[in-house]
Amino acid sequence: MITIISKIELEGTDNLKYTDVGYTTDVGVINEINEDYDSTLGKFLGENRTKLEIGEVLISAFFDGVSYVSEARTEVENTDQLNLSEIININQL
Amino acid sequence: MAAPTKGNVTNLNQTPGANNKTQNHTQDTGNNGLIIAQFTMSNTRSYTSCTYGGVAMTQLYQLNRGGLSQRMAFYYLENPPTGNNQLRVNFNGSQFNPISIHIRSFTDSGGIGASLRSGGSSSPHTGNLTVSQDDSLVMITSCCVNAIATQQIPTGSNKTFTTHNTNRQVATGAISANAGEIAGVLSVRATSVFGNLTLDRTEIKGLSSSVDTSGGDFFAIM
Repeated sequence: MITIISKIELEGTDNLKYTDVGYTTDVGVINEINEDYDSTLGKFLGENRTKLEIGEVLISAFFDGVSYVSEARTEVENTDQLNLSEIININQL
Repeated sequence: MAAPTKGNVTNLNQTPGANNKTQNHTQDTGNNGLIIAQFTMSNTRSYTSCTYGGVAMTQLYQLNRGGLSQRMAFYYLENPPTGNNQLRVNFNGSQFNPISIHIRSFTDSGGIGASLRSGGSSSPHTGNLTVSQDDSLVMITSCCVNAIATQQIPTGSNKTFTTHNTNRQVATGAISANAGEIAGVLSVRATSVFGNLTLDRTEIKGLSSSVDTSGGDFFAIM
């Protein structure tokens, strides 16, 4: 399988927006992206799920000073028609 | 009969962070297309609708697995638009828990056949499905607190599957071998390393055989 890399940004004040920005087959790149996600946005979501659902905390609180986060947890069998470039180094993001 | 032809697959396991989740997926070109989508997420929200390429998909089932605090659903669309289109699933509020999504395309499909769902039961969890016609493919999916070990179609034949984490463990995407199954009662099984797990199974029908008028010789014996 090929892994799609998504860019996650704030949309409005309380929504996440996902945009596919590239793909990779490099497990090292996938792990690096997801470890960064897990220690940042993933951690914030894990600590605030209930408060986010009832509106006590807004997701915009996380994005104060953060423009975007990447995640690599979408898998496809081929990239035909997806118009995405291969990412071989996390610095390309 | 002929088995449906398996097409493109997309799997994702992300946190929507909105009242919907979208994902691009490429539907294969061919006659008698079918697209299906399996979903699992926290039961704090419900699925309200699903579209592919802007066309409404049909909900086969939506189940609240209260013991697992999860909600599982299956949507499908016959003759969907081909090429790269967006699948969008909508919720009745913003979902800040991860969702498991499995999207699979088919061509040469006769649509959805039999479908049965079973709630949490101890491992091994075995269930039957009465397959309506020869060569149908069968898909199964399971949810469990602990790791899911196998998805067997038929029982005894392990099939590959994707593992997702929605704060519960989800096995999705397991499907019959390409040749399909024989019509009649089919036993399928799911196993976990420990604890109860669910077992939902659905038949994907192939096409009924028809007279070949594309060529060949005709003999009349007098």
